[in-house]
Formats: sequence, structure tokens, C-alpha cells
Amino acid sequence: MSLAAHDVRVVLGGRTILSDIGLALERGRFVGLVGPNGAGKTTLLRVLAGLIAPVDGRVTLEGHALSGMSRDARARRVAALFQGAVIGWPMTVREIVALGRLPHRRAFAGLSEADETAIAQAMARTDVGHLADRTEPTLSSGERMRALLARALAVEAAWLLVDEPVTALDPAHQLDAMALLRAVSRDGAGVVAVLHDLALAARFCDRIVVLSGGRLVADGRPEEALTDALLARVFGVTAERGLAADGTRYILPWARSGITEESDGAIIPG
Amino acid sequence: MNAPVTALASSTSRRQGAPRARRAVIALLGLATVALTLASVAIGYAPFDVPAACADLVAGRTTLPALVLWELRIPRALLGGLVGFSLGLTGAAMQGYLRNPLADPGILGISSAAALGAVIVFYGGLAASLSLALPLGGIAGAGVAALLLNALAARGSSTLGLILAGIGLSSLAGALTALALNLSPNPYAALEIVFWLMGSLSDRSLDHVLLCLPLMIVGWGLMLSTGPALDALTLGEDTAASLGIGLVSVRLRLVTGAALAVGSGVAVSGAIGFVGLAVPHLMRPLVGARPGASLLPSGLAGAVLVLAADIGVRLLATRPELKLGVVTALVGAPFLIVLLLQNRGRRA
Amino acid sequence: MPSRCALLLSAVLAALPVARAAGAAGAPVRVVSMNLCADELVLRLADRDQVLAVTYLAREPRGSTVAAEAVGLPVTRGLTEEVVALRPDLVIAGAFTTRATVGMLKRVGAPVLELGVPADLDGVRAQIRQVAAALGRSERGEAMVAALDARLAAITPAARPLRALVMRPNAFTVAPGGLGDALIRAAGLVNVAAEIGRDRFGQVPLEAAALADPDLIVVDEGAPGMPSLADTLLHHPVFRALARAHWTVAIPNRFWTCPGPQVAEVVARLAAAANARAARP
Repeated sequence: MSLAAHDVRVVLGGRTILSDIGLALERGRFVGLVGPNGAGKTTLLRVLAGLIAPVDGRVTLEGHALSGMSRDARARRVAALFQGAVIGWPMTVREIVALGRLPHRRAFAGLSEADETAIAQAMARTDVGHLADRTEPTLSSGERMRALLARALAVEAAWLLVDEPVTALDPAHQLDAMALLRAVSRDGAGVVAVLHDLALAARFCDRIVVLSGGRLVADGRPEEALTDALLARVFGVTAERGLAADGTRYILPWARSGITEESDGAIIPG
Repeated sequence: MNAPVTALASSTSRRQGAPRARRAVIALLGLATVALTLASVAIGYAPFDVPAACADLVAGRTTLPALVLWELRIPRALLGGLVGFSLGLTGAAMQGYLRNPLADPGILGISSAAALGAVIVFYGGLAASLSLALPLGGIAGAGVAALLLNALAARGSSTLGLILAGIGLSSLAGALTALALNLSPNPYAALEIVFWLMGSLSDRSLDHVLLCLPLMIVGWGLMLSTGPALDALTLGEDTAASLGIGLVSVRLRLVTGAALAVGSGVAVSGAIGFVGLAVPHLMRPLVGARPGASLLPSGLAGAVLVLAADIGVRLLATRPELKLGVVTALVGAPFLIVLLLQNRGRRA
Repeated sequence: MPSRCALLLSAVLAALPVARAAGAAGAPVRVVSMNLCADELVLRLADRDQVLAVTYLAREPRGSTVAAEAVGLPVTRGLTEEVVALRPDLVIAGAFTTRATVGMLKRVGAPVLELGVPADLDGVRAQIRQVAAALGRSERGEAMVAALDARLAAITPAARPLRALVMRPNAFTVAPGGLGDALIRAAGLVNVAAEIGRDRFGQVPLEAAALADPDLIVVDEGAPGMPSLADTLLHHPVFRALARAHWTVAIPNRFWTCPGPQVAEVVARLAAAANARAARP
């Protein structure tokens, strides 16, 4: 019941983007993948989704090499939502969400009852049911993100990988999205999200994985991973910590610390 | 117990709303294609007793009217439909794949390469004794273009790279076509460039149909099979890949399918412009913007447009006969301009 | 340097009318022909040293009746600068020479003779005399007209007015009112293309040709190794059936293309074919 990277090294265009990545992820948990720009977060997400093959090491899903699976089998198990996914044609929200069922459909076949149910549930879950017949250009950023998230949920995969799901959203929708991802993980899926907002990551995630310069530099519960030393070293910030009124701990990046560990300039952004 | 049943029924009817409209459009276009094919058989330059010719044909009497029906009227009508379907389908597939509403079968350079292949084989004198060398040359040209683009696609080059390669290939093939025509030993060959640039279906024979039909059908199959992949690509290549779409496989199927369908079409009819560009735009308001949904309707609408245009050139009776590409542009361009203006207004 | 060139050019241009005047006074007129039909007449009527240049088409055996005569002579592509550089006393252009070229030649003061497009045999005779006179060889023109008339007089016209359909690749006219039409009538035949009345380029749709029920089908003489789309028409199943069912006569395109003594050959072949066809049981 795990998705794991074993000693993964990734080279793209002659540059080493990731090295020595060892990571075992469990279902039912919400994992935040954080790190400064260029740390290799999106690349790691693509590796975990099976879209990039590592030059060294391997990625396994429940003990089987991801690279050995058929595309459809992999797509049914691992759903991914990438940042800045443009919607090329003014399709309706319903059509966009239905794309999530592609790995389950036979060639030239229509939607089955199971497909219909999954689409309806995904739309209900992200509260886009009322937008079903609206087309993409008429949606707000929040509606658009929810529609795309519904598309990813409609896959009904055991794993959901999400790249910067909250970046374009207002605070209310950010909270909604994070709560939704956490709820998805509570339902049994493994959720991995690339996040920039350390406060949101610490507040919602069960586990934080920190990448810097293509390497894994911290991995643990939020308060274990996001220590003051790490924040200063990796992000170059100091943080305010406290206890919210509801009893949860919070971390708030507050000021630049001055001492930073430069990200490898050779690493591509993301 | 009642309430969920009602809810299910209403959701079912709503879910089938869009496919039902699409099926109606496909059925209507199919009927229109059949009707125009029959009209194309019935309409010509000379007074012609179609039922009598049909009777001769069925009875196996090789009278001149039966021969005109079998070797001129029917091939012309069939080719109109086949070439139109190929152009419309390829236009829809290319626009969907490149996520570019201005993409056109010609954009990958396959039309121009097909014309070049036909021109080289034909005017080079290889076809002196064999009338079918012309279409064969066109298909060879399209095949070479497809192989070049396949090699490029298999190396995983980007969408933009493919478009740029297509533009380069298209310009080169166009220039070489003009050069080949000017170098031809026949001093009148250069006059025939109009056929290759504007297209025509006049005086084709059943041989032309038989030669291009199987290749077109394979090409159509390849392109129609990319429907779900085109839908997924609407969300970008990464998302499509995460949905189990093989990006390289999709590119190969599209490039090969377009080469077969358009290449064999160009070889027998010349390059008829605008159909592949305009038809998908005409279909989207009717069947929705989902790329996969517009493939079959665009093919049928392309057949309808080319058949209607070819009937038009015969009814207009200009002298000499107007080239098909002129009519398709005259019909297609105003539609396209209106649609683009409407679309812009809606987006603003 | 450029100014010297311009000076030289204007000197050349200024000299042209003078040269022509000199030619009229007795010296042979030296000509450049810019059109295939002019080439044919010039090469037959002028002394060889009078011809400065003909068009490249004159050497083309399929289209030209003077390909042999043109060998060894300079050819042009009919560009103004080529023509001007040859310092001709006279430039002979055809009705289809581009207007821009003729206008340019006239602007630089070159004496240009523009030939018309004869629509009948009288027009052919007139054009022969016109070109001969311009070359200062009127007597040769009269001899050519006499030979043409003698050849025509020797022809036995078709006994019955058979219906002839000309299916020529790249044909340029057998429409009513054209020279081709006049030649068909001179042979005693009915021009079916004129009846169908399709177009002034003589391009008859194959089905119209098939259904017009002609007695005699006139095609171009095949030239292997020089294919064109128009040639492929002659391989179409319908055309082959038509040719099998009817009498076919091949007349090379070059005999029809231009007004000249060779048009008598067209009339002769048409009449002979018609009489052979009529004699068939």
C-alpha cells in the first residue's frame, strides 16, 4: 500500500534535477512537498506519476515498478493535477470532469454507470455541480481549480498528486481546497501536494517533505520537518509559531533570516 | 424510493443531452452527404438520362451513358465526399491536437509534399504509360513527409516544433513543386500548377477512387482513434500523460493518418484549401468544443462542403471550370470571419 | 559607373529609331521575335542574318514548326533587357506578349510590331503579308500565301459535314470565331466544341464530349516523355471508349497553334480523316 521512490536520480537536458531521493508514501495521508523555487518539487511529482523515468533508482507502486505497468493501469492508480494546466478548448465543466474517466473507458465506448457515478461524486465533492454546463472561459479561478480538481478526483485513483493547487486562489478557496485534499486522504487515498504556503502546509498536512537543490533535506510531521534551522537554511526565513484558538499549532514565515543556502542555479524552476 | 429514481432519470437525460444533439448533427450531415452525392451524380454538363444510364449499368450494357455514369459521374461524386471527409477530419484532428484553431491539414506540409511527389513522378516522365502514376506519386510524397514528421515526433519534439517543421516542409515542397513544373520537358506543364494549388475533381476516373479509398480509410481510422487523447490533451500534455495517454503514439497516429488521408486526396484532386480550416469552426457551435466530439461531424461536414462546392463549379458553368479551392474559400472564408468575430466578442 | 551605364543605355535607345530608318532605306531589318507565332513567320520569311533572336519556345519540337530552323540562333525568354541589348531594328511581339513588356519597349523607343490573332484564313494571309513587309521581304510573303492557297486548293473537302470534336491537351482555341473553328469549317466539318460552346480555351469536359456523339475525334499527336495533366485525359476510360467507338485523327498541336502555311496541313488531315471515316461501312 505504498508509493515509493528508491534512490532516484533524474537528469533532464543534461542537468541533474533530483538525486538520492528515497521516499516511501502511505495511503490515507496528506503529504506536503515543499521547497524553494527550483528545488525539483514538480519533477519529483512527475516522477511519482510515472511521467518521467529516473536514470537511476526506481519508483514502485505497491511493490511493483511503476515503469512496468501499462499506461492505463498506472493512470487508474495514480491521478495527477499539474499547475497552470490550461484548458485548450471551451469545454463544459462536465466534459472536463469526465476526462478523469478516460483510464477506465474502452476505446469508442460511452460512459458507464460507474463513470457517471464517479463524475457526479467528484463534482459534488468539489461543489461544481451547478457549473456542469458552464464552459471554461466563463469560470473564475476558484471555479476553474475546483473543476480541474474534480477531474482528478473522478479518476478515483488510490493516489492523488497535486502541483500547487492553491496558488491562484483567494484565502477562503485555499482553505476549502486544503480541507478537501485532507478529506480525500482521510477517505483512504494517498495525497501528495506541492505547496508554497508553509503555513497552509503545516496546518493541513500530516507529513512534510522538504526538497532543496534536488535533494531531500527533511521529512516528517510538520513541526519536526519545518524546524527553525531548516527554515533558515533552506528558505532563508524565520517563522512565528503559536497556538491557534482551536488548539492547532501554526507556523507563519515572518522575516528573511539572512543566512540562506542558495538553490542550485542549474536547476530548472519548479 | 421514488425520489432517487427520479433523480437518476433526470441526471440520465441531462447526461445524454449533449451526445444526443451530436448524434442528431451526425445523422443530418450523413443524410446531407448522401443527398449531395446523389445530386452530384445527377448534375453535370451534358443532358444525361441518369435512370437510363443506371439501367444500362445494372444490366451490364457498356453503353456510353453507362460508362459516363460509372467512370465520370460516380467517381467525381465519390471523390468529392472522400476528399472532403479527409480534409474535414484532418482539420479537426490537427486543430484539436495542436490546440490551435488556425491549424489546417496543410500545416504539417503533407498537402504540399503530396503535390510535390505527384508532380515529380508525373512530369518527370515516369508516368508516360501509366495514368495511375500520378496518384501513386502523391501518396509517395505524403509518405516521405509522414516519415520525416514521424521521425521528428518519435524524438519527442514539442507541438511547436512540429508546427515549425510543418511550415518549413510546406514551403520547401511548394518551392520544389514550382521548380519541378518549370523544369518539366512539357512547356505547358507550368500552366498546370493551378490544379495542384487550387484543386479540381473534373474528369477523374474510378481508378482514382479505388486507389485512394483504402489508404483514406486507414488514415480515418487512425485519426478517429485519437479522439479521447485529443480530449485529454485539452488539459495539457502532462495531464494527458497522467490519464494514460501515450503522447508519442498519438502523434504517430495523427501524422500517419493525416498523411494517408490528405496525401492520397491531394494526389487525385490537388490541394483544396480551407475545408480543413473552416469546417471544425462550423461544427463546434453545434457539437461542443470537445475535440473528440468534432472529429466525425467535421469529416462529414467537409464532405458536404466539397460536394456542394463541386456541384457549384458545374452549375456556375464558368469557362474554364472554376477550381474547387476557389469555391471552398468563397464559401468558407466569410463563415470563418463571422465566427471568429463572434468568438472574440464572446471572450471580451 | 551606374551613370555611364545609363548614358550608354540612353545612347542605345536613341539610336534605335535611326537604325530602323536606315533599315527602311535598304539595309536589312534586323529583328527580335518575342512570340512563338512571330518566330515561325520570321524564321521562314527573313534571311537568317536578319534574325537577332527568337524565343526559347521556337526550339521546342513539340510546339514549334520551326524547331530545326531555330537551332543555332540566340534565344530569349522575352525579357525587355534581353531584347534591348540586342539593338534590334524591329521587335515583333504577339497579342499575348505581356502588356508591361510591350509598354516598356515602346517607352524606351524600340519599334514594336504587334501581331494580332487571325480568326480565319484571310487573317492568316494578311498576317503573313504584314510580317513579310515589315522584314522588307514582301515577295517571300506573296510566295508563302500562294503556296498556302495552292495547298488548300488541292484538298478535297469532306464529302459529308461530319461532326468533329477536338480534344487537344492544352488547346488554345477551337471555339466559334477562332482560327481552329475556321480550319474545321474549311475542311467541310462541323465543329462540335463550338456547338457545346464550353469555353474559349477549347477545354471540353469529358462527359460533354462523350455525350455530344461526335463522328470524328481530333487529338494531339502523342509525345512520349513529355507528360502533362491534360495528356492524361487521353488515358481516361471514357475517352478510350469514345476513341474506340469513333474515328480518331491525331494532329500535332504545333500545326494549330499559329497562323502560317502549316494551317493548310490541319485542313488537309481533317478532310482526309473525314473522307476515310465516311468511306467506312
